[in-house]
Amino acid sequence: MNLYEYEAKRIFEAGGIPVPPAVRITKPEELAKVHFGYPLTLKCQVMSGGRGKAGGIKFAKDLEEGKALAKDLLQLVIKGSKTESLLVEPMVSIAKELYLAVTLDRERGCPIFIASAEGGIEIESSHNVLTEPIPFPYHPYVGRNLAAKLGLKGAVMAKVADLANKLYKVFESKDLDLAEINPLVITKGDDVLALDGKIIINDDSIGRQPAFKGWMEAHLVDMSPRERRAKLTDLNLVELDGNIGILCNGAGLTMATMDMVKAFGGQPGNFLDAGGGSDQKKTLAALELVNENPAVDVILLNILGGITACDEVAGALVEFMKKYPERQMVVRLRGNNQDVAEKMLAASGLKLYPDLEEAVKEAVSRSKNATKKPALAAKA
Amino acid sequence: MILVDKHTKVVVQGATGKMGAAHTKRMLDYGTNIVAGVTPGKGGEKIHNVPVFDTVMEAVKTTGATCSVIFVPPYLALDAGYEALDAGISLLVLITEGIPPQDTAKLAAAVKAKGAKLIGPNCPGIITPGQSLIGILPGSIFKSGPVGMVSKSGTLTYEIALALTESGYGQSTCVGTGGDPIKGLDYQEVLSMFEHDPATEVIVMIGEIGGNAEEEAAAFIKKNVKKPVIGYIAGQTAPPGKRMGHAGAIISGGKGTAESKLEAFKANGVRVAMTPGEVAKQVAEAIKQPAKA
Repeated sequence: MNLYEYEAKRIFEAGGIPVPPAVRITKPEELAKVHFGYPLTLKCQVMSGGRGKAGGIKFAKDLEEGKALAKDLLQLVIKGSKTESLLVEPMVSIAKELYLAVTLDRERGCPIFIASAEGGIEIESSHNVLTEPIPFPYHPYVGRNLAAKLGLKGAVMAKVADLANKLYKVFESKDLDLAEINPLVITKGDDVLALDGKIIINDDSIGRQPAFKGWMEAHLVDMSPRERRAKLTDLNLVELDGNIGILCNGAGLTMATMDMVKAFGGQPGNFLDAGGGSDQKKTLAALELVNENPAVDVILLNILGGITACDEVAGALVEFMKKYPERQMVVRLRGNNQDVAEKMLAASGLKLYPDLEEAVKEAVSRSKNATKKPALAAKA
Repeated sequence: MILVDKHTKVVVQGATGKMGAAHTKRMLDYGTNIVAGVTPGKGGEKIHNVPVFDTVMEAVKTTGATCSVIFVPPYLALDAGYEALDAGISLLVLITEGIPPQDTAKLAAAVKAKGAKLIGPNCPGIITPGQSLIGILPGSIFKSGPVGMVSKSGTLTYEIALALTESGYGQSTCVGTGGDPIKGLDYQEVLSMFEHDPATEVIVMIGEIGGNAEEEAAAFIKKNVKKPVIGYIAGQTAPPGKRMGHAGAIISGGKGTAESKLEAFKANGVRVAMTPGEVAKQVAEAIKQPAKA
């Protein structure tokens, strides 16, 4: 779950990391309540990156200019992401900009610091980037080593080291995938300040982070409505452009099925991984999600039961077909409890395809013959 | 065979939970040497005739178990893993999905420090067909034979094993390493074990988009693996920037694409299969012509 800048900074602040004073506004008039003194910085709160380049950060010399800028900024859409609010901060006198982040490195299998003495940059294209593996258990010397490697000296070195240690504590205690400060500013008065911040909370950890309970729904802004619903019901849906609705259990199998549909000349309408161990209710919810996509002409269901029991899937299928008898279905169902599932489905007349390649070919062929008609409604 | 055989004594952590109990039964039915279950507070009970202990320490002391298969809920998995390690378990098979990756990183570091091995998390487990099934794999689709399999995916492993079995090619051992970005055993470690395993003639490696583990494995194969390796990558048509089911399966910043992985396979002498069905055909050819292509 990605957070907005203002949320990230509140979390940083609570972790003892210095941030500029700030007020968040959703209407231009609210600027009158801001008493930092001008000039002020107005920053669009959006999920997308590249905000500065897209004109999402402006400076106001007085209230009048500020209101006019706020009005425009509040309507700004950056790379498809709407401006949620504006963050208003006093302008900071900058001596130096650094980059500092903590994330998990999948290659090394451990958390790492990523740091650079050149902040405000696009970190992926910079050559002066340090990556430092973080040992378990953590000790504050790690932050000192990092600050020293950045070439910092004296009081600033100690302040950056302390900030790095606090950033790791926030990363660990809040179960983050990313805690990023860019730029980390050294002011002309030798203070350190997180001028911009980004936080990604690990989705699997939200359940043990009471502070973020219920936050997910408001933060799923870069998804279609169906993708959002899937996410909130713990299903993995990615919508695509074609007319074959793909539903499988397991990420690898769903991807492989999608690839095969394409290889045999069909067009996947979605990727839906129902995950491991889906019961009848969850499988039915997954079927409904695929069914609701008006572009889908055929549903291709491919289940290999390991932790998922085929009879649970068959139960969902029986229920679904009662509701939507007109729906074109190609079904493959193999693995644990396959025999029970086959008995349950025998009465329905639904043909089961034991071979994946045959099932895919059948779905592709039906998708090509499908006559375009309005989305199928449930049987009354 | 690698890692497990019919003698491997297995303890099930979380044996009395819904998933744990169901799969304890399946594993027993398969013939796995399940010697104990562990559920705190249920010591002294039995599950499918297997004695249940309160702690892994007691279970290991009483039964001599060396392997633990873990079915506990995600936020309890790190503790369960530490407990198993501390009790002297040398092979941890962590089935649980949805474990916070920082927990996995901590557990993986502890496993390494102890010289133990971790399979998973978010994985189907491991099977040496005809001998031992540890995890949630459907036993009926596997049979004993010369193909060693290593895969990030559960159900895709079943798909390819099924195709192999139906084509007459059984498996020495199949290891599902799991779909999380942070995990225990990686491709290289498993490939190396298969290379030194006399029962394995051909290796099948199943990867997917995201990260660069397949690229690193391909380079490792060129240097260290003489047996023929067949590689398959899922997600060839996945759109960039979208998480495709597994936490690790995402193309980000132009990295982790199927093209990059398939290129690395080709450049390092790994035989490429473009569909799951093609894997079995490539295995048939590799068994006829074991020299590296």
